[in-house]
Amino acid sequence: MRYGMAIDLKRCVGCNSCTMVCRMENGTPPGILYNRVEKYEIGKYPAARMQFRPIPCMHCQEPACLKVCPTGATYQRDDGIVLIDHEKCMGCRYCVLACPYEARQFLGKIDNYFGPETITPWETVKHQELDKGTTVKCTFCVRRLERGREPACVETCPAQARYFGDLDDPESEVSKIIAFQGGTVLKEELGTRPSVYYVNV
Amino acid sequence: MKKAKEVTGHTQKTTSWGKSLPAASAYQWKAVDPAEKGKSLTLYGICGQCMQSDCTTLIHLEDGVVVSVEGNPTSPPNYGSLCPRGNSQIMNLYNPYRVKTPLVRTNPEKGLDVDPMWKEVSWDEALNIIVEKFKKIREKDPRGLLILEGFGNTNSILRDSFARAFGTPNVIGSHGPLCTIHYASCLVHSALPEAVAEMEYCEYLLSFGRSLGPNFATTGGIRRFTKAMERGMKLVVIDPHCSVEASKGEWIPIRPGSDLACLLAMAHVMLNEGLPYDEWFMKNRTNAPYLINSEGNYYRDPATGKPMIWDAADNCARTFDSEFKDIAMNGTYTVNGVACRTAFDLIREEFARYTPEWAEKICTVPAKTIRRLATEFVEHAKIGSTIKIDDFVFPFRPASVNTHRGVNCHRGGTYADLTGKIMNMLVGNIEVPGGCLGNSMRGPLMAPDKDGIVKPQFEADPFPFKFPPDNIDGHEFYPNKHTTPHLAINAIMNPEKYHIGYKIEAWLNFGGNVIRKNAQPERYVEAMKKVPFIVSFAYHIDEPTILADVVLPEHSAMERSLVSVLYPSHQTTGGEVIGFDTVRVRQPVPNLFDTRHCDDIYTEIAERVGFLCGAGGVYDYLNQQKHHALIDDGFYLGNQKLDINRKHSLDEIYDRQMKSWSRGDGRGLEELNKDGFFLHPRSRKEYYTYYFFPENKTRHPFYFESLKKTGETLRANLRMHNLKFPGIENEEYIWEQYRPIPCWIENSEINAPPEYDLWVVNWKSPYCPHDSGNPNGNPWLAELYQQDPFDFTIFLNSATAKKKGLKDRDWITVESRYGKTEGIMRVTELIHPDAVGIPGSYGLGTIQSNPIFREGTHFNALLSLDDKTLDAIAAGQELSPRVKVYKSEAKR
Repeated sequence: MRYGMAIDLKRCVGCNSCTMVCRMENGTPPGILYNRVEKYEIGKYPAARMQFRPIPCMHCQEPACLKVCPTGATYQRDDGIVLIDHEKCMGCRYCVLACPYEARQFLGKIDNYFGPETITPWETVKHQELDKGTTVKCTFCVRRLERGREPACVETCPAQARYFGDLDDPESEVSKIIAFQGGTVLKEELGTRPSVYYVNV
Repeated sequence: MKKAKEVTGHTQKTTSWGKSLPAASAYQWKAVDPAEKGKSLTLYGICGQCMQSDCTTLIHLEDGVVVSVEGNPTSPPNYGSLCPRGNSQIMNLYNPYRVKTPLVRTNPEKGLDVDPMWKEVSWDEALNIIVEKFKKIREKDPRGLLILEGFGNTNSILRDSFARAFGTPNVIGSHGPLCTIHYASCLVHSALPEAVAEMEYCEYLLSFGRSLGPNFATTGGIRRFTKAMERGMKLVVIDPHCSVEASKGEWIPIRPGSDLACLLAMAHVMLNEGLPYDEWFMKNRTNAPYLINSEGNYYRDPATGKPMIWDAADNCARTFDSEFKDIAMNGTYTVNGVACRTAFDLIREEFARYTPEWAEKICTVPAKTIRRLATEFVEHAKIGSTIKIDDFVFPFRPASVNTHRGVNCHRGGTYADLTGKIMNMLVGNIEVPGGCLGNSMRGPLMAPDKDGIVKPQFEADPFPFKFPPDNIDGHEFYPNKHTTPHLAINAIMNPEKYHIGYKIEAWLNFGGNVIRKNAQPERYVEAMKKVPFIVSFAYHIDEPTILADVVLPEHSAMERSLVSVLYPSHQTTGGEVIGFDTVRVRQPVPNLFDTRHCDDIYTEIAERVGFLCGAGGVYDYLNQQKHHALIDDGFYLGNQKLDINRKHSLDEIYDRQMKSWSRGDGRGLEELNKDGFFLHPRSRKEYYTYYFFPENKTRHPFYFESLKKTGETLRANLRMHNLKFPGIENEEYIWEQYRPIPCWIENSEINAPPEYDLWVVNWKSPYCPHDSGNPNGNPWLAELYQQDPFDFTIFLNSATAKKKGLKDRDWITVESRYGKTEGIMRVTELIHPDAVGIPGSYGLGTIQSNPIFREGTHFNALLSLDDKTLDAIAAGQELSPRVKVYKSEAKR
């Protein structure tokens, strides 16, 4: 069993629903986003267009972050998900530098959305789950997986551009999409072996 | 990676809401009610984060705090998905800038930058002030109350009845003049609000000046778009800007405001360059074969008064409803000594001059491309093919041309819309699978009038002329208008010019922001300052609210109970949103502040003034509900009328609406609260209104005789009362837009001085497409839009920028003849070289808004209120004025 994701770039319309649902799911403060959507323009007028690429954590099979972590806070589960034990993380940020996908961020401070003097009830609840002084990132929504759900970004996407499942099972939807549509990974040459594939690039 | 920029400026520098009120940024939230501790609760919701307000949600609370909102997985139209605004709606609820208690102004001076010195008051005190004023106005002259509404008040079920029972005709919608997209669809196929394409079957879509969903990130729109593109639908987007949708299809750049020329030329190719057309449809379902006399009117049978058609086999004219052996589409005939020609011949002749070469000079779309697109459109329409939907055989025409505000909102824009309809009719795609369909209301809408033509309804049905006018909305002069806040404001500033013989004494603002979202904001402020008393049902201190005398805080969307029927479509339709009727409920989150439901406020005011109960009261009008936007296929109390002599709760009204609903099964609110939504299957064939008047049972206007008649009636009325058309010197300027055959019309910007060498164009931001749900002030969305390379910026083509010596990230001013705005520029390939692109509507704001409202480029400041710039039919405003751009110093 190895969890993985496929993102169909032909379907993606760059709406950032995934980024917003991820914020809601994880309670990240301003400046911290576990998912981002990169936007580009290609071509020259009039043969120009926009392109979009959503980027979560790649949950690499050979994670660069894990290699540099001095405390063993970053670890990899049997199902491939790469997580951070916030008790062990000392915030050295080697992993933030090491990740070639810029998927990690250091939670140096926890600002409020409406300024220093007011914190919304939602933030009061969600801040309890945040560990200031540690590094944070996408977890493939492990708590949702435990409840039999899929990651929030996968479920909310209006274009239904994301697939999630077991990459070790050739019959799973995500495996089939990658096989039949020729899924590729980012920065393959670095040998990180991401678990997030892109199709229709 | 671009690091997420920290959003600055959220701490208000100074504020003086009142001695007892803390600054918004230092707001101390109420502690969670101890009774809620340990409780988990899920409520059924209906999202309110865009104008559509139709996606269904599940709202999860823990210990009384809303912790997450997700799409309801089995309910249409979103089936579990949500857009970026739906996913950030928690920040709409927990917004410290919300108005939390009723407020009364103590500073008589008014302005966007002037502190009203609010006094916090009780609801009783606030309501009594309002009631006293309203009583006087109602007694003296109820027309003195102007109610300014918009998309923000569509959850109210009492708004229309309140206005009628009060007795004011002056209900003005803020949300219309930059989106006049209704007349042509209402006229040709009784479609309201607009015509769209069907994503299930359409194979070729020509999309002009509009969005289908992805451009402004609507959940249902994206869902249907994705499936259609994957199915292989060919999408051609004619747009000055390479949008998200243009990026997925074929982008045809066009000079802003010139679509009329392109459409006239495409129709020319279809009419005059040998392309096939749907002969059966044109002969049997349009007035193209009707005989027209030398005055341009129908030749009428002397015996019956009916229009006539020539039978080429029997060589005689017959009334349109006769049996024919061979309907003549062409020819000149003499009937009872009167020389007549077929309407089709007249139209072809008129369009002969609109060659693609002529159009290319105006719109810059190459002639070759115009011909190619027209040819592809006809080819893909599969004229003559059929499709079976359930047990009914329909004509199948999987091609559609849809135009929208980018095309229509210019002088002559109505002709552009009508020309698109001409193209659609030539391939016979009206209201059949794959073709050009109305959205929302369905049913037997296309009944023929006495001339055999679809009876003009809704905005195609001209307002009657009354002089002197009762209504300040200008409908005497624009009888087929859409909404007209611009005319109302012009009339407040200059009542004599607009023939208004009374004064607006009070302005009730609820659900619309004309100051920021229309044109020439300083003029709107000036006009509102002339009104002696302003009440705002407010969410926050926006531009209209800071000018108010009394502020009544209303619930945010999540706190506002609602039962509604789904209008299935909006920008597109088909697939998973047809084949059923559905009703759903929003169970309110307990309100955080001392706010009330807008309909409870209306009820309270009406009761205290004395028009809630009894004959002619709010409930009496609600029982007779006729407003098309509130009827929803019979959701109007039918056999469940209210006792007009006592007060009713909203829940009771919702329950009765449900039980009387012709599409329902008699179950009411109690059962709905258990399941969240009810789904009633309906045969898919009923979605296409062709079904109700098939074959030759009705005809669409191809020759726009009723437009001509409306113009003649207006002209006669002006003469009868010895009136000049307000704001227009030469009346021919108006009459040339009332011809039965569309023609080329120069808009107000074509002859602008050469220093204004570019045309500005606006498009919707996927983050902030409307103000509904306050996306501009939502910190999660703000974090994204401020760092998005394609939003919150001014687009300039790279070649144009180079010519002007402007560089990427320069701060520039954009100036039209009507106003100016400024912001950071982006050098890009994604825009026509003659265009300046300003997405969204940012900037302006007040000293008591979330400070973020003061940031960004304010597109609307460039637009005009001048009568000479308007489209004469729908009163649409010029959406792409000519501008000049130059480097400037950032003031902030």
